[in-house]
Amino acid sequence: MTLFFQQLVSGISIGSVYALLAVGYALVYSVYNFTNWAFDAFMVVGAFAGFYTISLAHLPFWLATLVAIIATVLFSVAVERIAYRPLRNRNAPRLFMMISAMGANIALINIMNKAFGGAFRSFPEVTTGSFQLGGVAIGKMDLLAAVLSFAALVGLYLFLYRTKAGLGIRASAIDMTTASLMGIDNDKVAFLIFGVTGGLSAISGVFYGIKYAVYPYLGSMVTIKAMIASIIGGLGSLEGAVVASLMLGIIETMISGYASSIYRDLFSFSLLIIILLFLPNGLFGKKNADKL
Amino acid sequence: MGYLNTILVLGGIQVIAALGLAILTGYTGLFSMGHSVYMALGGYAAAVLYMELGVPFILALILGALFAGLCSMIIGYPTFRSQLRGDYFAIATLGFAEAVRLVLNNTYKIINGAIGYLGIPKLTSPWLVLIAMLLAFVLAHSFTKSQWGRNCLAVKQDATAAQMMGVNVLKTQMTALFVSAVYCGLAGGLLAFYMAYLTPAMFTVTKSSDLLAAVVFGGMQSLVGPAIAGFVLIALPEILRPLESWRLIMYGSLFVIIMVFRPQGLLGYYELELGRYLAPIRAAYARLGIRRKAKVDAA
Repeated sequence: MTLFFQQLVSGISIGSVYALLAVGYALVYSVYNFTNWAFDAFMVVGAFAGFYTISLAHLPFWLATLVAIIATVLFSVAVERIAYRPLRNRNAPRLFMMISAMGANIALINIMNKAFGGAFRSFPEVTTGSFQLGGVAIGKMDLLAAVLSFAALVGLYLFLYRTKAGLGIRASAIDMTTASLMGIDNDKVAFLIFGVTGGLSAISGVFYGIKYAVYPYLGSMVTIKAMIASIIGGLGSLEGAVVASLMLGIIETMISGYASSIYRDLFSFSLLIIILLFLPNGLFGKKNADKL
Repeated sequence: MGYLNTILVLGGIQVIAALGLAILTGYTGLFSMGHSVYMALGGYAAAVLYMELGVPFILALILGALFAGLCSMIIGYPTFRSQLRGDYFAIATLGFAEAVRLVLNNTYKIINGAIGYLGIPKLTSPWLVLIAMLLAFVLAHSFTKSQWGRNCLAVKQDATAAQMMGVNVLKTQMTALFVSAVYCGLAGGLLAFYMAYLTPAMFTVTKSSDLLAAVVFGGMQSLVGPAIAGFVLIALPEILRPLESWRLIMYGSLFVIIMVFRPQGLLGYYELELGRYLAPIRAAYARLGIRRKAKVDAA
């Protein structure tokens, strides 16, 4: 039973990292109807920015996270300007958006590979140690990751549902053309969405880097998992993305705890196919009309 | 000579795979991030058939290619059936490719997992690749000119409108995927019998992006473009060795630049066709005929 709870704790921690990314996919998808493949690169930008602020400048952890967020937001907004906006403005097919996103991702990751080298770097210890809770060791870092992720998600919820800018984003999600006729600035919405989702992916990058290692290809598997989670939750549904991420994180750590970590990835991909077969709209799949 | 041969063979194999992806991505508008998986499946299947079951070489190649095609149906059916085809499909292909690679990496019976399947005889000759390439091109060309190809184009441009015109969208997408997987499977088989060994590391995401790059650079909705681009992208890094580490950076940036400035790719919608160049001659000949006829009438 201890193993179960131990895996549950680490599953929630990894699930919260998935959730940050999956919510990003869902948010971009709900407004622009395309999957932002560049989250992989954004996550790595965040991880590297955080890593170098701590290891070179010796700044405290919270400041490093802030630097990571700022750096990633800049990248995210720049990629939107360069790679997506021209396509969006001329109503290019979604296939082109996806190829452009993929290209931005490949280029950014390999630039970082070239600049920093492909070595695995371990994050300087931020908070070490763990405390016992009924025989289960809860790592302080796991707890911090989960708590900060949920704080970020709650922040996102408040931003979307309690502010005027959030209302604008939700309006754009339903119909971008009509929203822009009502005086909502499409470019501003894009700026906000890519800024916010970039920031979320920076946080996930920092935590994932701390949990494993920092290297240019750190995001490739996690982002696929997060995409799978956002599909399982129903593409475009925020609460679906969060629930599915936690579920996926927990089930995956259970499988690697009780069986083998090889089956973990196989399970996720098979689950994706099964979900697509039987629940093509995901768990929380909604119709186009009531997105977000 | 051996070096040149290697470039020609590997380039030719890449051309076959790129033609397959051109049918799927260029003509049907489906974005696949994991097409190297069909090369892996075709290659491993052909090698196992030949080595373990004693199936003749050419038959093993064909069966391997068909096996890859059948495997593509596993992800094709569930993803195409759902409404949001593009993104689901791209993610599912990527996931499927990774999952298959995991399985291959950890199957130690017969194929030796990550160590690699060694001792495959080197049966692929440059001539075989050339013949296969030409055959693949002719078949792909007639596929795109056939009713299936027209259906693919219709589905790419507007799936809903195509459906209203009586095109079976699911069937068309499945056909395109099957054909493209068979092409990649054949390419994988040829590769297996040329390299004389197989490891799962030969079929990574990088290989898939190489294929995708061929289609994007060569031109959506063109066969000649991707074929040339596929060959050049294999030959160029061989010639420009020092630039190897910049290759993926350039690919990625070019993806964005091409999508922003010239989304139709290098050749765009133009197909290098013999007919196009023969047309002026034919027209001149026809005019000549009319003149002659007029002369006859006058006389």
